[in-house]
Amino acid sequence: MATRTMGNRTAISNYGFYAWIGFLAVIVVIGFINFIRQTTDGHHLTGLSDAFPWGLYITGFVFFVGASAGATIIGLMIHAFGRDDYAPLATRALLVGLLSLIAAVLFIAVDVGSIPRMVRLPLIWRNETSMFTYTSSSYYVFGAMLAAELYLALKITRGEATDGDRTVAKWLAIIATPFAIIVLHATTGSLFAVAKARDFWSSPLLPPHFAVVALLSGTAIMMCVAWVTSIVNGVELVSKRTVAHMGAVVALFITLAAFMDFFDFIVYKYSDEYAGNEAFHALWSDGWILSSLHVGGYVAALTIILFNRGRSVGLLGAAAAISLVAAGAYRFNLTAAGQAPPLLPFLERIHYSPSWVEISVSAGIVALITLAYSVATRVLPMEEPAGPRLSEPKM
Amino acid sequence: MPKYGMVIDLDKCFGCRACMVACKVENNTPEKHFWMYVFRLEQGEYPNARVSFLPRPCMHCENAPCVKVCPVKARYHEEGGFVATDWDRCIGCRYCAVACPYGVNNFNWTKPEESQYLNWDDPDLIPLTDGHLPYANPDLEGRYGSKNRRVAGSNHQHGVMEKCTFCIHRVEKGLDPACVANCPAFALHFGDLDDPESNVSLQLERKQSWRLLEDDDTDPKVHYVGGAPPNEEVRQIETVKVSE
Repeated sequence: MATRTMGNRTAISNYGFYAWIGFLAVIVVIGFINFIRQTTDGHHLTGLSDAFPWGLYITGFVFFVGASAGATIIGLMIHAFGRDDYAPLATRALLVGLLSLIAAVLFIAVDVGSIPRMVRLPLIWRNETSMFTYTSSSYYVFGAMLAAELYLALKITRGEATDGDRTVAKWLAIIATPFAIIVLHATTGSLFAVAKARDFWSSPLLPPHFAVVALLSGTAIMMCVAWVTSIVNGVELVSKRTVAHMGAVVALFITLAAFMDFFDFIVYKYSDEYAGNEAFHALWSDGWILSSLHVGGYVAALTIILFNRGRSVGLLGAAAAISLVAAGAYRFNLTAAGQAPPLLPFLERIHYSPSWVEISVSAGIVALITLAYSVATRVLPMEEPAGPRLSEPKM
Repeated sequence: MPKYGMVIDLDKCFGCRACMVACKVENNTPEKHFWMYVFRLEQGEYPNARVSFLPRPCMHCENAPCVKVCPVKARYHEEGGFVATDWDRCIGCRYCAVACPYGVNNFNWTKPEESQYLNWDDPDLIPLTDGHLPYANPDLEGRYGSKNRRVAGSNHQHGVMEKCTFCIHRVEKGLDPACVANCPAFALHFGDLDDPESNVSLQLERKQSWRLLEDDDTDPKVHYVGGAPPNEEVRQIETVKVSE
């Protein structure tokens, strides 16, 4: 194994770290102020309307649920798939998974009309026929599993874990991995797919498509983490070979996602299905910039990964960042295109642009979890010390 | 238990929108909200253009997508066939608006007291309102239906979803919904769809009927007689000016 552990050493100065934290804090404060404005003044400060009820917040929610599921699987690779070379990333991946889940819940919280009522879901109020009940239940369960797994991972990195802790961590990983793929993100996809009025979403392919993009974004985020950490700490977190392996995984998921996108397009184009055609028109008229980012991002990321023969971590990190942008654009396009076709045949196509309030609140949430991650990785032990791991490394 | 429904005779409707005004007055709905909306439509080109009208209340579907998706059962089936919204329970996720194929849901995007057509702080208006704010009509502060929930037009709340209630508060008193009672052309009819002697059943017997987006299998309880289901050749010619 070429992995090098380096404790919490950092190549950047304390001033650099505090400047970074200050920068994030400013974005968080601006977002929080606008959230308070939205709460007291009303959601009319968003670009949403009765004709277009879900927008940037729901996009953020879906993106981060996916990122949470994907990152968690990277964190559990060591336990679930015996990939010891991922060990230096494991604790960070679990942290990213947990923070992404928190971000997803925050996106829902800023979107709904009443947060005090929302928190009663699903324990006090629930509807067994609503996918929301199942998705919210799965977030509680998954959040608890992630918190427990992270706690055990931190014990392991501190060298305080017992054999019992390691066994529990292993079994939690075995349960959490399929849970992340099937329950967590597929139910989020179903949330859209069961919406009666939105023909563009109404496809059994949507839940697996959601799961594939979730795995893509989670893996890409962890590639970015490995890349950025190697720059910040001045030491490789995982080997080039491991980063290249993650790149191959991203390439596989991009191919699968693009395959589904392509056949969605073919079916809508040649079935002459009204809502689907309207949605595609919306994507390539109003939403052409994001559509270009979606398609172009997939192509660019795939090209870099496949032709990066020197396995440059920097290039692979850039490819991961591009694929994250593409996945984000896909999430936004999906949300927007599903609501663009008019409900009644004589109405006009519906337009939506996020307002400044939505953009700043969304940026605030992203900055908040980035800040939490930056502080946590500074004060908590993120890498396992030398010594016996859960299983012996494979030769 | 009756199964209330509405029959709208498009051969009689002349698009006066009195039903929209009656609904607004009855339910004190905020600015831009129309629980009953009358589309004014046109088909063909001059000199062969044809104008038609399509009143659209909530369809109070038997198989309501909004009821299925509401995560907290704030949207629910009330006895008598009403699809009601419990304003004390709605979390404002707008999933019902996403799922409803008819677009009849109105979210309170602003504070109701700030979304009225008149400035109710105007001292000249206070004698007229007797100090009562229009969005909080004390006549409607009761709880309605078998589940005794707050579902009718009073104390509109910010961040909560609303829609047509079939005027459940009037029906419980034996009255017709406000839109039906105020239609000058007698184009709107309300009653028990299961009672063969009811006004609505008699209307449905006389003429061929259809329902909006029938292929969606929502089983709406609003039936149209006369006219034809709107298609893609029809265009909307005039929309209500909702704000400056």
